[in-house]
Amino acid sequence: MFTVLYIHQKAKMKTNTITRKFGKLLRLDVTFDEHIEHLKITGDFFLHPEDTLEKIVSELTNIALPFIKEDLIMKVQILLKENGAELIGITAEDIINLLEEAVQ
Amino acid sequence: MKNFRMIPFQYFNAYTNMALDEAIMEGVRNGISQPTIRFYGWEPSAVSIGVFQGVKNEVNLETTKKDGVDVVRRLTGGGAVYHDKFGEVTYSLIAPLDFFPTNIIESYRVICDDIVFALQQLGIHATFAPINDILVNEQKISGNAQTRRNGILLQHGTILYSVDVETMFSLLNVSDQKISDKLIKSVQKRVTSIKDQTGASMNALKDALIQGFQRNRNVDFGDYSDIEKQRAQELVDERFNNDSWTFRL
Repeated sequence: MFTVLYIHQKAKMKTNTITRKFGKLLRLDVTFDEHIEHLKITGDFFLHPEDTLEKIVSELTNIALPFIKEDLIMKVQILLKENGAELIGITAEDIINLLEEAVQ
Repeated sequence: MKNFRMIPFQYFNAYTNMALDEAIMEGVRNGISQPTIRFYGWEPSAVSIGVFQGVKNEVNLETTKKDGVDVVRRLTGGGAVYHDKFGEVTYSLIAPLDFFPTNIIESYRVICDDIVFALQQLGIHATFAPINDILVNEQKISGNAQTRRNGILLQHGTILYSVDVETMFSLLNVSDQKISDKLIKSVQKRVTSIKDQTGASMNALKDALIQGFQRNRNVDFGDYSDIEKQRAQELVDERFNNDSWTFRL
């Protein structure tokens, strides 16, 4: 029964890939239903220190949909600040705006 | 400020090139390596991808395998680059962060200005174009990328000696567009090289880069230490020639 439920839930999942050129290229691969199941952020942007990207992905995974864009932008901005991190070529707003587009 | 060690041009494979950068970063941080400027080529030719890029998105892995072109993920951000064995000179500069402006774009500018100076020695009028490019009449001649970790700055970049756009397109996946003559011509218009601009030889380019990078620094010419070479080999095995790193995205 659990297996059937799992398959049923998986069947509801949607996936989307969206790429956009800001100052640099940003690509999101998202799997979602009522929440974000899986997110991959790739592109030719710069982020110092680089391991902050994993923290951003972790912050955005499992969030419920629909989300409040301003809240998520602030979360990412706070995370960047806490890690002394700097994004170059894209912004926190770019990531969240594209994420909103990807899950519509 | 400490003298820089300058290591003249040598060829290595892609994995060793990237591993030497990291080994020297570790050495500078631990006080056993001098701040370093190194020049190198890629043998065999290779594709490097940025640290945040998906390898399958960016690289035609069937063609790289068939043509014997190595694929390596860099420590730095930025885009995928085709490094032709005879088509470019690559440099790396590794030094404590406090040698350079804190502002990232300004630190790119300081280092890229040395390349601009070198190109001037060859009669080429180039300009730094933020974030990380050097242009000649709006055409890209040099791309650069930076990382900062544990108080150490690494900037590496390529200076194009000649461009083979058709080979480049056979190795890189061009996003959602078919490789057409029109597209190739469009890229040819946006990219230039030393060969396109002047009759200067590859050796003249290497000499000019040495002049450019030592004009504002005290430099001792040197080579890689045994410790650096040994650590680089470990990093090749653990990271740069390892699928868990190359295919992580």
